[in-house]
Formats: sequence, structure tokens, C-alpha cells
Amino acid sequence: MTPFDYMKAMAELWGRGGQEFAAAQQNFFANAAKAAGQESASGAPSAGAFDPQVFDPQGLTQANRAFAKLWSSAIEMSQTISRNMQAGESPVVGELLGKIFNPCGWFSGTDGMDQALQRMAEGPRLADMWDTERKMLTLFNAWTALRRRSLEHNTVMLEAWLQAAGKFAKDLNEKADRKEVLGSCREILALWVDTANSALLETQRSERYLTSQREILKASIDLRLAQQEMAAFYSEMFGYPTREELDDVHRVVTELRREVRKLQRASRDVQKKEMPPAKAPGARKGRSTSL
Amino acid sequence: MTNGTPVHIKPEQAISEAAALGEKIARGVALFSKLRDEDVAIATTPKDEIWRQDKVSLHHYRPLADKKVATPVLIVYGLIGRYTMADLQEDRSLVRNLLKLGVDLYVVDWGNPSRADRWLTLDDYIDGYLGDCIAALSERHGVGKVNLLGICEGGVFTTCYAALHPQTVKGMVLTITPIDFHGDTVENRLGHGFINLWTRSLTPEDVDRLIEAYGNLPGEFMGSVFSQMTPMRTLMKYNLDLLEVVDDDKKFLNFLRMEKWLADRPHHPGEAAKQWLKDLYQDNKLINDAFMINGQAVNLANITMPVLNVFAKDDHIIPPATSQALGAKVGTKDYTELALPGGHVGVFVGGKSQALLGSAIANWLAERS
Repeated sequence: MTPFDYMKAMAELWGRGGQEFAAAQQNFFANAAKAAGQESASGAPSAGAFDPQVFDPQGLTQANRAFAKLWSSAIEMSQTISRNMQAGESPVVGELLGKIFNPCGWFSGTDGMDQALQRMAEGPRLADMWDTERKMLTLFNAWTALRRRSLEHNTVMLEAWLQAAGKFAKDLNEKADRKEVLGSCREILALWVDTANSALLETQRSERYLTSQREILKASIDLRLAQQEMAAFYSEMFGYPTREELDDVHRVVTELRREVRKLQRASRDVQKKEMPPAKAPGARKGRSTSL
Repeated sequence: MTNGTPVHIKPEQAISEAAALGEKIARGVALFSKLRDEDVAIATTPKDEIWRQDKVSLHHYRPLADKKVATPVLIVYGLIGRYTMADLQEDRSLVRNLLKLGVDLYVVDWGNPSRADRWLTLDDYIDGYLGDCIAALSERHGVGKVNLLGICEGGVFTTCYAALHPQTVKGMVLTITPIDFHGDTVENRLGHGFINLWTRSLTPEDVDRLIEAYGNLPGEFMGSVFSQMTPMRTLMKYNLDLLEVVDDDKKFLNFLRMEKWLADRPHHPGEAAKQWLKDLYQDNKLINDAFMINGQAVNLANITMPVLNVFAKDDHIIPPATSQALGAKVGTKDYTELALPGGHVGVFVGGKSQALLGSAIANWLAERS
């Protein structure tokens, strides 16, 4: 591998998460559009089985639109920054910088909470269980709501990226005015990390961020509970214990253990009163010394 | 050079940087291929299990020097993370430092709580398991009192226990322990106290539903919250940070050991998590003497034994003010604060702080032995 290949590999490493994020967004938009299309084409299911207040394609579309608008601005800014910095220089360096300032990369590292919640919530796929339509729709609605909340949260994050990128560009201009030089990728990166970190931390303290994150948490819990309801339905159908039944058993066991510990403690206290104190293990003769 | 920008990266510089990077990666790959899991073992200080109940076990560390502190010391970590942080590696180990200074040391291991442990409460952990560990230790040594060394959430456990049963505690050392859970607002430093802020952004019902859905506070969930507190560090951890250390044996092993500790994040039992998040983080009951354990209010003025309260000056998880609040509430005049440089974990593994921490605790204990 030549040094240039290593540089490229480094850039790839940086950008890989971003590409995955972008792909996930595309899939999501396609799925959401498909779902909305099917809904209008086939007509709404029975009112009892489908809660239009929960299924909110308009909300999803709005969230999608807001995000797409910001995304386009972010990409434009990213390209401008990279273009300005790479003109006349090595194409490898240009590629590296382009990837570092790509907003995709921002999301690949900062949506850990979102990913963790989704991993926990999504669990098994239940796509083949359409005979339990009502429960499945509830589940689908909960999934849609989580997608929407994720999109809203990503919009907040993207705004933070735009702020950081704007501040970075301003800092670069100021440095140019002062005739200061950034002579290596490392120096550029250090400036970007510093700028981006401040922007992210400021964003995390904002009411908008905290609210959107709370909404994701709530949506992920709704999805998880809907999945559990589905699982309980099948458990009951096939005679397996449900989560609720297991929780009940565990509760009883915990309470019984608590009682046992209490009795053991009482017994120990009685013995203690009757027995002289034991010698310390491996106790040496004479006093211990202090430092 | 590019007109209008201060970026001056010449092709030869780029080649030089890329070449250096290539060499680094090549050395890192060679090092990585030689490593085995045992090379990154953590918590290796020899110890023996002396007591066990349910998933909780009590261990005695084998001494590394003559005893200089007569009363045994029990290390109590919390349910978020694991005690192995105090013994990460041989040259960065609070446990080894204390043993070398003649402290007779024990540690309680809470095990790996699962969904089956959903109904365990902080009452069970503090008044139950911890109380039984202390009783086992007292019996083993034939003493009426032991020293407690609480770490983070474990410090809250020892604080509650000491307030409820002061007659059984000779002295208490707290490290990076939150007491005033709203104390993050005192300094309001950027990037500090995010867990406090985040928890307050939730409603009590949100917490109840979270536990209803998952049965516990999942370890990976808390891991994500911690990652958010250092966003750019998280973003660069597995690319640039790793590249920084990949060709240095010692630094690379340190990195991997820390990763091992971070990955070992047990679930927090559900009912105990509700108390932790609602009663303490949201309602701040501990500092107001309103936190209840087994029907008894935890009154901090009942802490009449000597207290050493250690905090990290740059702790972004437990901001200093949240720890320091204890000073005004305890009922002892023998209260000492020790501010150490570094952050939440740095106190235990940072080159400078971890050495200071061990000797400060050992000296403090010895003076009161």
C-alpha cells in the first residue's frame, strides 16, 4: 500500500459511517413514501384497528422536508469549505478534507443514543404476522413515530453541524486575515474538533435538543411496548409464559429472597449476642503501625 | 497555497504525513496481530471470594505489604459500570496502590443483574447486600466497625449506609460521589453535568415507562448517554484517537484495557434505577434528607464518623459542586475534601492523580487507624 493509499484509507474510515447514514436515510425516505402510498391506495383499515392520531404521515413528511432542506444546505457548505481548502493542492488531501467536513460523518458518531434505542427497540422483525392486523398496525405506527422523532432529532443535530461549519469557515477567514498558517491536516483537524465540540455541547444543553431526544426515547419505549404486546399475544396463543407472567414470578422470588435475608440477619444477630467475637484472620501480635 | 485561506498543505507535506501514517498503521497492525485477550486482562490483582449471596460476592485482596491500617476497608462501586476501574492495570490501580501502602482491602462485586433482578431496590443493595457484606467483614475481623470506600454511585450507597448505621462505620472515603444532584447548576460548565440535565428533561412517568419496557436500565443505554457527554471524543475514538496510539505498545494496551472496562457495563436493576433517576437525579432527595431506605429517611447529619471526600476538578459526569455539597450536611467535624486534577475516570487511571489518590487515602486512613 502506498502512502497515498493509506491517506485514502484514513479518509474512507472517516466517511464510512456517514455513507451508512446517508444510505439509511434514503431507505427510510423510500420506505416512508411507499408506506404512505400504500395507505392512500388501499384505503384506511377499519377505524378500530387503526388510529389516525398515531399514524402521522403528514408529520413524517414535514420532518422529512425540514431535514432534507437542511441536509442540502449542509452538503453545499461542506463542499464549499472543502473546495476552498483543496484548490491547487493534492487531490488526496482534498479528498480527505472533503470527508472530514462531510456532515454524514457528524451523524455517524453522534447518534449513539438513537442507535442504541433503535437496537433495543427493533428486536425481531414481525413482518409475517399480518393476521394480527390490529397489533401489527400499532407496532407499525410506533415504528413510524420513532422514525419521525429520529428525523426531527437529526434535524437539530444538522443545525448544530451547520453552525459549527459556519464558525469554522469564519475562523479560517480570520486566520487568513491575520496571515496565520495551517500547515498540516492535523492542525486543520484540531481546529475543526475544537469548533465542532463547542457547537455540539452548546446544542446538547438546548431545550430543542433535550426535547427531541426525550421524544425519541418515548417513541422507542412505545415501540418496545407494542412489540411486547405482540409477543405476549403469541406467547398466550402457544401456551408460553408472557413477559408479564415472568415479571410476576421474579417479583415473588425477589420478595422471598428479601424475607430470607431478613431472617438470616435476625438469626445472625441472635448468634452474635450469644457468641464471643471471633479473632481477626491472620491477625498479628502487637499493634498495627500507622503511617 | 490557496488564495484566501490559511491552509498551506504542500504535496510533499501531504506525502510526508501520509508516509508517517502508513508506518504507524503498519506497526499497529503488527502489534495487534501479536496481542491476545490475556494481554488486556483487567482487575488482575489476586483476591479471594469470602462471601456470596444471590449475585453479590465479597472478595478479599491478598496483601502486598505489611498491614499499616488496622481496620479493613471495603471498596463499594455502583451499579453503573464495574469495580474493575479501581484495578484497571498493574501500574494504574488504586487497589494495588492501597495494598502496597498496607491497607487491608475488600471489594463487593454486584455481579451481572439481569431482567430477573428487575425488582431489586436500592434498599436491597444498601441495607441488604451492603449491610450483610459489612456484617460478614466485621465478623471475620472481630471488629464492630469497618472503613468504607465508596466510588461514584457506590459512594451514594456508603453515604446512605453510614447515615443509617453510623455505629458500624469507622471512617468513610468517598470518591467522585454525587450528593447534591442539582449541584451541576452551580458552575454550569459547558459539557459538564449532562446526565443531570438530561435526567431532569424527562418526567417521572418517562422513567417508569422506560423501566416497564426494558425491565432495567440497560447498560448500553447508559453507555450511550456517557458517549454523548464527550461528542467529538466519541466521534474520533475509533479512528484518529486509535491511530494516535496504535504503534505504541503501552498506550495501545492502555486504550484496549479502557475499552474492555467500558464494554463491561452491567444493566442497572429496574426498581433501583427508578429510585436513582427519580428520587435522586430528579427530586434531589439525598441532600434534603428526604431519601428513604426501608422506611427510614437518610439524614446526612447522622454521618458522625470521619469523612474524606475526593472529587475530580474536571469531572464532567459528577461536577465538583455535586460532591462538595456533603461538607455542609455531615454531622462530623473530621471532614476533609481533596480535589484532584483530571476527570471522572482520570482520577483512577490518570498518571498523576491515581498515585496521589492512593497515598492520600492510605495516609488519611492510617492517621485514623
